[in-house]
Amino acid sequence: MSLPVIQLENLVFAWPGQSPLLDIEHFTLAAGERVFLKGPSGSGKTTLLGLLGGVQLPASGRIQLLGQDLARLSGSRRDRFRADHSGYIFQMFNLLPYLSVLENISLPCRFSALRRRRAIQRHGSVEAAARHLLAHLGLDRQELLRRAVTELSIGQQQRVAAARALIGSPELVIADEPTSALDADAREAFLNLLFVECQAAGSSLLFVSHDGALERLFDRSLSLSELNRATPDGGLD
Amino acid sequence: MYLLRLALRSLLNRRFSALLTVLAIALSITLLLGVEKIRTEARASFAGTISGTDLIVGPRTGSVQLLLYSVFRIGHPSANMRWDSFQRIADHPRVAWALPISLGDSHRGYKVMGTSADYFLHYRHGRDRALAFAEGKAFADLYDAVLGADVAREQGYVLGSELVLAHGTGSVSFVEHADKPFRVSGILEKTGTPVDRTIHVSLQGLEALHVDWRQGMPARGAARISAEQARDMALTPSSITAALLGLDSRVATFAVQRDINRFPDEPLMAVLPGVALQELWSLLGVAEKALFIVSVFVVLTGLVGMLTAILSSLNERRREMAILRSVGARPRHIFSLLLLEAFGLALAGALLGVGLMYLTLWLAQPLILSHYGLFIPITAPGPWEWSLLGGILLAAVLMGSVPAWRAYRQSLIDGLSIRT
Repeated sequence: MSLPVIQLENLVFAWPGQSPLLDIEHFTLAAGERVFLKGPSGSGKTTLLGLLGGVQLPASGRIQLLGQDLARLSGSRRDRFRADHSGYIFQMFNLLPYLSVLENISLPCRFSALRRRRAIQRHGSVEAAARHLLAHLGLDRQELLRRAVTELSIGQQQRVAAARALIGSPELVIADEPTSALDADAREAFLNLLFVECQAAGSSLLFVSHDGALERLFDRSLSLSELNRATPDGGLD
Repeated sequence: MYLLRLALRSLLNRRFSALLTVLAIALSITLLLGVEKIRTEARASFAGTISGTDLIVGPRTGSVQLLLYSVFRIGHPSANMRWDSFQRIADHPRVAWALPISLGDSHRGYKVMGTSADYFLHYRHGRDRALAFAEGKAFADLYDAVLGADVAREQGYVLGSELVLAHGTGSVSFVEHADKPFRVSGILEKTGTPVDRTIHVSLQGLEALHVDWRQGMPARGAARISAEQARDMALTPSSITAALLGLDSRVATFAVQRDINRFPDEPLMAVLPGVALQELWSLLGVAEKALFIVSVFVVLTGLVGMLTAILSSLNERRREMAILRSVGARPRHIFSLLLLEAFGLALAGALLGVGLMYLTLWLAQPLILSHYGLFIPITAPGPWEWSLLGGILLAAVLMGSVPAWRAYRQSLIDGLSIRT
């Protein structure tokens, strides 16, 4: 596990004909590392997440995930790479309202054969893997599983989203403001659960938030505003 | 496979608007298939009104007009043909049988037709089906009448019932032949043709009704001739309305037609029933095509409704798309998902529409039969219906590719960021 999970070198992103939105000289996320990236609105956060997801490509510089240069992959290969190796947790309303809790968690295994294989290897079946994660996140009460996801509390929904990001043990979990809808006590509890499960799954965690109160819980904390040499005027975030 | 499941679940989540869309498509398909069904059955029943007759002969007029009044009992003959002309034609060496037809009287709105007893032997309808008696037999006495199935059923007539014929063909007549009532001697089986609504009497019986008439008015006082007195009189008609001919061989048709069209004593014409039916149908064909086009547009309206529903849902579903993208769905998955959705809606609409069509048909079948004499059989969809349904599904997929493409573009632009 010597390869860094994320490695950025002289990464520049700009829309054609415009000044750069993002310009990062160097950034590395090591395997198993938990990094807090402080990113207020306008710091280029959305752009960075788009690049890490392989949805956008850099204008220049290099973006490597697990040693793979994303720019060298075709669009559909980048999509598959993302599905295989990263899990996402968003701010809120992360779940598809028309699927059950278990189905929501299993979604990545539907689109990634690799993660399905890993889940089955570790737990016997995708459903067993989902139940295992739910139990560890304190959501194993039968009545909760039967409920429509829209009837869950926001905290419960975020834990389901975390389980979905972690199923099939992706190397990278990207969390984009997952706690901003939670109250202060729930935030720390959620983070602690997330840390334990990331460790169990062997996933590195890139946690993006504008809320600096949480940075002390991480291995390392960085500010995207300082990291980004471009000065975006805060357009789209 | 999983995408199909996702598409269904997503639709189910929006079940109210999905149901309305399905319903709109279903109703439009019911209309289209119903119109098609009635159209083809009406055409078949229409074409089956007369068969086995090689030529229809009448005074010179339009061939469609001759067909209409001699076979469909619609409209009025503008002139008559002389009895001796009919006899000469009947004696033509190639003519196997000749049926005289004399129209002009009615009974409670049903047309009365004078003919010969041979009519029941030679007249054919549908695929060479002869007339059959449900009860009784052909007319033998001067004042006997044979009723079509509808006349007997609707008026409650049985064998031996007496009926008074009226002069003229209106449903309400002020001049009745009350002095010479007719007695029902036979009732025909249902045929699904105008025969069902006709009262058949002998030419002599019809002549007896009018034997004492002068200048279109009944005689008065001493000049009146009673029913019994009429029996002793010469009752050969001086003219008839038209005649149906059967020839000894189909091959002779054109030769006999030419002979009749060149008939020296009287201007007559002979038409081939098939040709006249074709001509009549081509007249009705315009209305028929219009009906078809209207129902096709109704189906298109249903599909456009679906397009609108999907397109307007796209914006509120950007989050759904972004979530799917984040768990690994590729843009082409998003495209397929929306295409499947359109296909699913159209398929559900088609299934429901076909079901509704058959339900309606099942309910309306007896009503259509009793009101219009049109029997519409409940049969499995034929190749034409299947190709219509296939065309509709194809159109739905083509239309569905519009929102699918939009969602595809949108998901490329939005990527993983959730925008609402």
